[in-house]
Amino acid sequence: MENVLTIQGLTKNFGRLCAVNNLNLEIQRGQVFGMLGPNGSGKTTTLGMLMGVINPTQGSFSWFGQPPTHHLRKKIGAVLEHPIFYPYLSGRKNLELMCLIKEAPPENVQKVLALVELSGRQDDKYRTYSLGMKQRLAIASALLNDPIVLILDEPTNGLDPMGIAEIRDIIRRIANDGKTIILASHLLDEVQKVCTHFAILRKGNLVHSGPVDDVGKGEESVEVMAYHDDLALMLESFEGTLSMKRETQQFVVKMKPGFHANDINRYLFEKGVTATHLVTQKKSLEKQFLEILAEADHAAPAKN
Amino acid sequence: MLHLLKIDLKKLIDYRTFWVICGLYFITLIAGASSGMELVKWLDRTIEGFGGNINIQRIPIYHFPDIWQNLAWCGGLLKIGLGIMVVISITNEFTYRTIRQNIIDGLSREEFLYSKVLTNVTLSVLSSAGLFIIAVVCGLIYSPEYDFPYGFTGIEFFLAYFLEIFAFLSFALMLGTLINRSGLTIVLLLNSYLIELIIKENVDNYFPGIIPFFPLESIMNLVPMPFARYFLQEIRDYVTLTSVVTALVWTFLFNYFTYLKLKKSDI
Repeated sequence: MENVLTIQGLTKNFGRLCAVNNLNLEIQRGQVFGMLGPNGSGKTTTLGMLMGVINPTQGSFSWFGQPPTHHLRKKIGAVLEHPIFYPYLSGRKNLELMCLIKEAPPENVQKVLALVELSGRQDDKYRTYSLGMKQRLAIASALLNDPIVLILDEPTNGLDPMGIAEIRDIIRRIANDGKTIILASHLLDEVQKVCTHFAILRKGNLVHSGPVDDVGKGEESVEVMAYHDDLALMLESFEGTLSMKRETQQFVVKMKPGFHANDINRYLFEKGVTATHLVTQKKSLEKQFLEILAEADHAAPAKN
Repeated sequence: MLHLLKIDLKKLIDYRTFWVICGLYFITLIAGASSGMELVKWLDRTIEGFGGNINIQRIPIYHFPDIWQNLAWCGGLLKIGLGIMVVISITNEFTYRTIRQNIIDGLSREEFLYSKVLTNVTLSVLSSAGLFIIAVVCGLIYSPEYDFPYGFTGIEFFLAYFLEIFAFLSFALMLGTLINRSGLTIVLLLNSYLIELIIKENVDNYFPGIIPFFPLESIMNLVPMPFARYFLQEIRDYVTLTSVVTALVWTFLFNYFTYLKLKKSDI
């Protein structure tokens, strides 16, 4: 697979604060790469360095195997943090200006405006736009020069549920075109829905990186409900139970490797109990994320 | 080159403040430069004994070749208007953070600076050209006789005027880049002559020789005040090489400091 981005030992210090610490990362063509981390974990600083607005303290990175230049940036569509435009220019004029900078064909302006459904408001000044429209214009601007790589930093920040769904839809459509996308977010649900790979940053350190599909591998947890007074005892004595805990109305049974929900079902039925509720819990990215962060906290508690 | 100029002009062309400030500037420049005789007449009416027994109609402020230096000096007084426009243009990029997006979009930091410098050149050229046209028209109207090539003596003051404007706009661009806030920068720009004057007065007692090399002093030195000649005083009615070289060095430094700031800072 072709590497789109290779980061080697990238470090940024702001005075005594280490915002990004010795980051190594590779992103391959066609990946939708999620960058996760709590606020202030160094996501935006990293992206800022990749886009040439923040000078790295140490380390290097290369796009498409070449050292970074401003010409390469023209083929990358990026929106960092919040949308940035000239407030006194209309949406269309803002995009036309970007066309000049990116040396993109001017007819792309109408294409991307249509894509994000802003054609109707294109001649209004940018400062009159709502937050959702600003975000959509930012995505339009990122798509302006038919980019090979798309970088989106918190693209759904501050949007209402409909706006979030719209943006997610746009991202999916772009991903289906085979474009490489780097998506920084703290909305884990978002990342799990659209990303193929993800990395987790914590206080400037990379604490995890891997495919999203790997999330949820490992032991299973099963939720059980049944009308029976001795259900707790029964579940505890089941041979496949690793551990068990009570959650308001239901029991959550952590299974030993090789045991699944159907084994519990058969076991209970043989005992003359029919379950009213039996669900295998899918391990969410959120859970994994919190686990990884907790592990990282545990591993380096003295450092901070 | 032209491409970068187009980028910066695209930012300004739909910006109402730009048109208001530049409009005011050019109207003041044209009206001010062409109404010198009216000013003299007004002074004559208001101040008793103004000009003594001389017929004020015969003061040759608009005659070739006096007109070149006279108008170049007067035009130089108004450059603060353009300076404020340049400050607004650069500090907007910082307050709206559009400089960040420009660079993300693929402009290099050098190219960003060039685009601003090219606009400064354009504004300086427009000022010089506008003032030159007024000088030619007024000269043709008021001069009693056209004695060329003698009439072209001192026309090099228009090149000095161009350099004066461009040097000052470079200074404004530097201040804006270093300070980033429009209000503060404009206040400092307006007060910069005063601040330099205070320093000059203090330096004067010890090293009077270095005073012509002060930045704003060197810009003012390009075109010296000409009107004392009408009161029979000696004036410098030519452009000196030292003043041009000093101003050029400062212009280079202003832009170089801007470059260093842009290069080193995280945007």
